[in-house]
Amino acid sequence: MSRLSLGWTLPAYSVLLYAFLYLPIAVIVLFAFDAKAIPGLPIDTFTTDWFAVSLADTRLVGSLFTSIRLALLAAVLSTALAMPAAMVLAWRPVRMKSLVLCLVLGPVVLPQLVLGLGLIVLFRAAPDLIGSPAIVLAHTTMTSSYATLMLYSRFLGFRRSYIEAAMNLGADEFVTFREVVLPLVAPSLIAVLLLAFTDAFGEFVVAWFLAGFTETLPIAIWTSLRQVISPKIYALSALVILVTLFVSVSAQIWILGQSRRECES
Amino acid sequence: MSAARDIARRRSRLRAALPAAGLLPLVLWQIVFFVVPVALILGLSVWRSQSYRLIPAFTFDNYIAIFARPAIWRALLLSVETAAFVTVACAVLAYPVAYFIAKKAGRWRGLLLVAVIAPFWISIVMRVAAWRLLLGERGVINQMAIALGLTEAPMSFLLYSPVSTAIGLIYAYLPLYVLPLYAAISNIHDNWIDAAMDLNASPTRTFFEVILPLSAPGLVVGAVFCFVFGLGEFVTPALLGGGKQLMFSQVIQDEFQRRLDWPSGAAMAVVLLVLVFASLALSMKWIRRASGETGL
Amino acid sequence: MTEPVPNAVELRAVSKVYGASTAVREVSMDIARGAFVTILGPSGCGKSTLLRMISGFVSPSSGDVLIDGVSVLGAAPYERDTAMVFQDYALFPHRTVAQNLAFGLRMRKVAKDEIARRVEAMLELVNLKGFGDRRVSQMSGGQAQRVALGRALIVRPAVLLLDEPLGALDLKLRKQMQAELKTIHRDLGLTFVAVTHDQEEALTLSDRIAVMNGGALEQFDTPENLYRRPATRFVADFVGNANLFDARLGSDGRVEAQGLPLTLFLNPVQRGGRQSGAAIALVVRPETIAVGATAPESHDGRVEAQVEEIMFSGAVQQIVGRLPDGRRITAHQSAALPAPERGTTAVFSWPSQSVWLVDA
Repeated sequence: MSRLSLGWTLPAYSVLLYAFLYLPIAVIVLFAFDAKAIPGLPIDTFTTDWFAVSLADTRLVGSLFTSIRLALLAAVLSTALAMPAAMVLAWRPVRMKSLVLCLVLGPVVLPQLVLGLGLIVLFRAAPDLIGSPAIVLAHTTMTSSYATLMLYSRFLGFRRSYIEAAMNLGADEFVTFREVVLPLVAPSLIAVLLLAFTDAFGEFVVAWFLAGFTETLPIAIWTSLRQVISPKIYALSALVILVTLFVSVSAQIWILGQSRRECES
Repeated sequence: MSAARDIARRRSRLRAALPAAGLLPLVLWQIVFFVVPVALILGLSVWRSQSYRLIPAFTFDNYIAIFARPAIWRALLLSVETAAFVTVACAVLAYPVAYFIAKKAGRWRGLLLVAVIAPFWISIVMRVAAWRLLLGERGVINQMAIALGLTEAPMSFLLYSPVSTAIGLIYAYLPLYVLPLYAAISNIHDNWIDAAMDLNASPTRTFFEVILPLSAPGLVVGAVFCFVFGLGEFVTPALLGGGKQLMFSQVIQDEFQRRLDWPSGAAMAVVLLVLVFASLALSMKWIRRASGETGL
Repeated sequence: MTEPVPNAVELRAVSKVYGASTAVREVSMDIARGAFVTILGPSGCGKSTLLRMISGFVSPSSGDVLIDGVSVLGAAPYERDTAMVFQDYALFPHRTVAQNLAFGLRMRKVAKDEIARRVEAMLELVNLKGFGDRRVSQMSGGQAQRVALGRALIVRPAVLLLDEPLGALDLKLRKQMQAELKTIHRDLGLTFVAVTHDQEEALTLSDRIAVMNGGALEQFDTPENLYRRPATRFVADFVGNANLFDARLGSDGRVEAQGLPLTLFLNPVQRGGRQSGAAIALVVRPETIAVGATAPESHDGRVEAQVEEIMFSGAVQQIVGRLPDGRRITAHQSAALPAPERGTTAVFSWPSQSVWLVDA
């Protein structure tokens, strides 16, 4: 440990910052239990009614399931696109590699607004796709960048000699992939799937531009935010937030454990 | 014998095609759904629109027209200012925490790092909704302030103002800034810090002469992402900023979707793109220099 | 007439060029069946590239590679009858020891019960009986090494390739594994090709050693010939310790060493058909040199040098002398013999028949 020490100030400050990060989440969860129709302090009566109300709202629950369905598709598609590409980028000499990387990672730095508007223009050529298909296509574009990035670093850390050992013992490319590569990267793959799902599930701007009459959960919340907000929105948001936190935290801990194990062996 | 050779040759040709086959789907996908849309925006920006109809042309009139509108300049300036402020604020707020996680957290570092990033994965719309609960005239902060006697009337500037937009953006990008800072700081060996102190540098001098220069790559990378994302962010200003002082992204969206003047909106989007890529290009030089200096 | 048995491996003028640099330059080598061959050289000499060309991970830029008499150019690693022991062992971490051993047999579609039988036999051969269900992460360095060896041996390859197989082990374990490796090689009668930078390992293990330098094959010979009759100056210097003295071959079988008061009479074998006047280097092994106040009668090579350093290392003491022209000469002699005083002048001497010549 270094001797540069600030005593208690650094931990104390860190606690404050974590409080700042989790304050909005705590407030949403708190107001999900507020019995008043217009939530606000002080909370006199706590109730769990709003959860029942929100789950009985077919339109809201419908948008939740739409979001789940579309995000699942985008997650699977983007992981399927990202995995072979990340493997090639990490393991093979690729001509014009930096150009390919720019192409693959561009959507990360491109303002979502611009991508969304560009896609509006693009889908004028195929208006039938507006709605769910367009949303899935757009989200796949965005999440495949992150997925490629994460899997690329995983494959870079993958020991080449495992593959060579398998091939040396008689396994061809496909068998090697099935027997050695896939089992070893499976945890990362699942983590990437989860994170891609989370990302697509919560994305708003692009989905909103391309939605047509399709309503995802973020769109439903956006719409309700423009009116007086019913506490049922907070109840559903609280549920979704807790699930999101659980999924993203476990996915990341998974990745963390994976890299730690790799370091030890 | 020759048949076996034939098969071998065919198989080796198949093998040679594998890398291309792995890369091609993603590359094609990104061309269709990323390159083409951006190209369409670029192309559209030199078209003309007449009573909501698009007319192919090659003219810079849209650019001239948008820069003639003072509202555009105001929005652009507000966006750049806000993004710059948010970037600086995030750097200042994130640095101590990144340092704490990297150097002081011991075996908790992994968990603490994950805990910083976790809120980032929550839908932006929900995060913004939460801030409305906090910042509104009857929101948590105002009611607490009144209850504590800090203020008589609710502070109305908290919501629907550039202040609330800035708070929302800082909240959104703080995790993004901690990550690269953490990576840079954990690359600084404790030995280097100890060596500086051993050579009688005071903690302050050690920080400014050793730790801070060595965290430069993280600072620059974090700043770039904060600034670039801040410039183009739409949801947060739209929901927290109110309708009076518009950010550039709101003006673009308005031009596209309410005024339906696509060429003019496309020209604005191109201006935003140029800003984004200019800051990226500028920072690449910095990042290269910063990482070259540390020799890592 | 019976058909001649083809060599296990034949390299025919193989080269590997990476852009502007040549990793392997026109190497030709015949490795007989059942041989234990070691490719020896400093790091970056192209020895690993050569091994990887045999295994199929690297394809040669030119030349041909034959395994069991058949060209394997264009054949993938999994289409070749080779098995490799990797430097880092590359044991599959998601598989048990037994599953690692069984991998190659499963790929060759061997029947289940036969796999079980052969895995059991292999566990016994590599002294890991009862370890079959362990995870590979629970294995110690030496045990992991055995699993890696067993995993490659179990498929009974035409050629077993070993890439710095003992490099990760500590000295004591390395000695033990060398002995085991040698026993296994003799018992199984397979062809072993190993790569190492450790000359002692190469000398102990192999029937023949290929010394490589800068991508080229310097000499491919038995350990003894390599040591006693090095083909090049590099080999003389790299394998064992050697005193090298630049000299010129005289007309009557004499040698004129530059700056040294030396007169040696060499036989035709030592001269190796060189013309008189040829520039050569004398190779004098330290252990052939005696140090004393006078030289023994039979030692016709003799120089006087000032004793500069005496280093004791167990059975042997190393004596470094400084010649009048500033060059150094090293002698190894038994620690049982009396050592000269440091700073005194002593006679360093050797018999001329123990000298070898290489081209300068």
